[in-house]
Amino acid sequence: MKTDFINELLDYFVVQKKHHSYRMPAEGEYELAKQFALQGDNDMQRSVKRLRYVLEKEQPVVLEKERITLLRTVRTIPRIHTEEEDKALHEKHAFHENGAVFNMCPDYAMLMEDGFRVKREKIRRQMELAETEKQKEFLQAMLEVMDIVEEFAERYRQEALRVGNLSVAETLAWVPANKPRTLLEALQFLRLIHYSMWCNGNYHNTLGRIDQFLYPYYQHDMQEGILDKDSALEFLEEFFISCNRDSDLYIGIQQGDNGQTIVLGGSNVDGSDAYNDLSELCLLASRDLCLIDPKVNLRVHKNTSMGVYELATTLTKKGLGFPQYTNDEIIIPSLLRCGYDPEDACNYTLAACWEILVVGYMDLVNWDSMNYLRAVQEAVEQLEACDSYDAFAGLVHQNIDRQAEELMALTKNVYKEPSPLVSLMCPDCLEKMRDISEPGKYNTYGFHGDGLSSAADSMAAIKKYVFEEKTFSASHMIEMLKNDFKDYPTEQNMLRYEAPKMGNDDDYVDQIAVKLLDWYADALEGKRNDRGGCFRAGTASAMYYIWHSKDAPASADGRNAGEALACNYSPSLFARCEGPISILKSFSKPNLVRVANGGPLTIELTDTMFKNEEAIRKCAMFVKSYMDLGGHQLQINAVNRDRMLDAQKHPENYRNMIVRVWGWSGYFVELNEVYQNHIIKRAEMAL
Amino acid sequence: MSSGVVFDIKEMAIYDGPGLRTTVFLKGCPLRCMWCHNPEGLSYQPQLMVATSNCVHCGKCMESCPRQGKDCVSCGTCIRHCPQGIRKICGKVWEASDLEGRLLKDADYLKRNGGGVTFSGGEPTGQPEFLIEMLDRTASMHRAVETCGFCREEIFRAVLERVDYVMMDIKMVDREKHKRYTGVSNEKILRNLELLKAGNVPFRIRIPVIPGVNDDDENFERTAQLLKNAENLEMVELLPYHVTAGAKYEMVNREYHPDFDESRQPRLNLEIFQSYGIPCSHL
Repeated sequence: MKTDFINELLDYFVVQKKHHSYRMPAEGEYELAKQFALQGDNDMQRSVKRLRYVLEKEQPVVLEKERITLLRTVRTIPRIHTEEEDKALHEKHAFHENGAVFNMCPDYAMLMEDGFRVKREKIRRQMELAETEKQKEFLQAMLEVMDIVEEFAERYRQEALRVGNLSVAETLAWVPANKPRTLLEALQFLRLIHYSMWCNGNYHNTLGRIDQFLYPYYQHDMQEGILDKDSALEFLEEFFISCNRDSDLYIGIQQGDNGQTIVLGGSNVDGSDAYNDLSELCLLASRDLCLIDPKVNLRVHKNTSMGVYELATTLTKKGLGFPQYTNDEIIIPSLLRCGYDPEDACNYTLAACWEILVVGYMDLVNWDSMNYLRAVQEAVEQLEACDSYDAFAGLVHQNIDRQAEELMALTKNVYKEPSPLVSLMCPDCLEKMRDISEPGKYNTYGFHGDGLSSAADSMAAIKKYVFEEKTFSASHMIEMLKNDFKDYPTEQNMLRYEAPKMGNDDDYVDQIAVKLLDWYADALEGKRNDRGGCFRAGTASAMYYIWHSKDAPASADGRNAGEALACNYSPSLFARCEGPISILKSFSKPNLVRVANGGPLTIELTDTMFKNEEAIRKCAMFVKSYMDLGGHQLQINAVNRDRMLDAQKHPENYRNMIVRVWGWSGYFVELNEVYQNHIIKRAEMAL
Repeated sequence: MSSGVVFDIKEMAIYDGPGLRTTVFLKGCPLRCMWCHNPEGLSYQPQLMVATSNCVHCGKCMESCPRQGKDCVSCGTCIRHCPQGIRKICGKVWEASDLEGRLLKDADYLKRNGGGVTFSGGEPTGQPEFLIEMLDRTASMHRAVETCGFCREEIFRAVLERVDYVMMDIKMVDREKHKRYTGVSNEKILRNLELLKAGNVPFRIRIPVIPGVNDDDENFERTAQLLKNAENLEMVELLPYHVTAGAKYEMVNREYHPDFDESRQPRLNLEIFQSYGIPCSHL
């Protein structure tokens, strides 16, 4: 149950959004960069200066009763390059989104352990070892960044004193200069760092395993009698609400796509269960609040208790679309295969959506996406030359290899903006005296893979109807696809609704999907990028299920040109599946340990599946059963199609209705129609 | 080997017995409950079913119909002509051995998750030979039936000998009312209830609670009287009437005419059962 104080905060920040009145007008993104260009500043200098500019411009706002403070009043985070410079950089370099360091999990705990004071001493000691100007400049930049953040925190402390909020003033008198002593100080520290990262242009960074690295502070407070479970829960809830204060200013494809996730539970290096009291409190806080941020990820493993799954399912029942489950039994071995150290592999977290990250290092896990359906469709163009299904499948294999080569080639010579701020939270930046944007310990590139089910279904249809039953000749099939089935409605109907579909526990088509994933993994295996890292294949679609489908021609599974693909690792939108158990079985057949960059099986269940405790327990068993079958990730959503349709008509009545989009949850009424409609389509297929 | 008509196989049935289950819906029912929400389960024959709410009225089905849209014989010609894919033949004839294969495929999974197979309907005892054969063929699984209890005594006994769990409806105790609202007398049902009570199979009694029909204390009281001291009775579960009950009638070309007030909330009086020491909850 939420306390009155939490209800007040919710009303202020989420319902009334009163804090928006403090916001300053937006500015031009490139104004500051013009000055940088005139002064001839290098990227490192620009990065530091931008942070100074934003944090100095910020006007501290401390509310009377809050204990965890900070509010964005500056809307615009300026770019560090002018448009011309940006263009020139794009000509010379490959870009990963806008070039910033983003979508990673900094080692917050490491910085907290030191506090700024000790960290400064360590950097100064390292300064004596620095040989090159570049090294010195980098170390100096880290020192400056700490000064900037600390000065900013000091202004907040002054403001807290002015408004008479002694709690906030006291907290900021201690952190970030020192290692936090209490859970409250640790949460404020984390809020300050995460806030500063957004102001530094570092976006979509997960908060990581907060139940692990905040646990010592929680334990301390419990032992000292400073907190009991209820008051700890209230602090967590206040912190969670703070993640929603500024989120409308965060960049993303859609509102809600902002990468603010937490990762709970998991196993330790010795295989023991890492789930603790704080993990439970985080789940309870999230269930109490029903907000889209932070999104909850739950790491599970063979010793995760049923009780944990059951508690997690009560969040699903609320329609939040999380927690999303990730199976340590698949992910940790997959990371070890990629060459990660066991300590890093066991301490993995999840990125903005579902990509696997290790703490403290920059892997570029959402580089681009391989389009399985395109690989199939390019092979269909040569269908007449194929004398057997195997010959046709061989062409698909070649096309996958070629796309993989293209994807890998495009990762050459990547530009990354320096981030001395994030570098403070990377284990080897200080020792090696190099910025986080430079090649580091692992340097993995991750690729998604979209359209898998449509591709497998299309190949199965061709195998069955062209090569085995000879219902259609190759040229007839090509003609129907070119015609977008306009003159072939009954044939389309048959391909669409009667042909084998992935998701029915039918080896005929499932084994094709197994091969497609294997080919993709084979194509990347053993290859190295120019940062020295490996390439990882994943099963996610991200937004490519919309992007890649828009211009895609009709396909042999009966799909019309332009019709959307399935989101992530899921059956096609018009596959009539036998049921959820068949889906789990189909989607656990592939060698998932080889394609574990991330990307969950996504299942929609109607909200009537969660009526009582017995039903919750059964849904929890269902989730666990996917892990027992060897599944890697699962996203499970309780949906109600009628409510969504009504929300399109009367958005004003559904301001708080939350839905899962691709790897994040958002408010339904804030999404573009194309995403709304896709979610409704998924709900029509709900089981 | 017998064959039977099945109108749905539902995986992960949550409310049909212990654990995760697959429920097989046998087509056809001897009752005609006024509130029935599965009208496609009434007839014993396969029939055309159309998801009318997604129909765009393009007329392609009519164009393709060999009988010009009149007197449907469920030939299925129109199915492939529907661009929306909303037409299907509801009710598939299954050979017992094929259905056995379909169910045993998931037997291990269901067992690991504390469940098994449930035969429901329609009314599963409405196809007695097929039901008994299927129960024998799935003997390695945890087997349950959901029944209205309206069948010959020897059939009921044969079923009881073969199942691990029973869910049985007691819609109402008053004989006249029962006849009026379900089309049949409850005599056979109450006699079979006695068999169930005397047997050793754990069971759950379900009451579809219909506003103004059977949600009065007297009916609950009389039902509780019948059930008191039944050793293997696990619980009584009240299933409140839902206004969406009529949703599927149009899909099978039937009309829905309840004579009770649909909008009134059904009274769920759990206390009466609890006062007899019978655990009671509602969905």
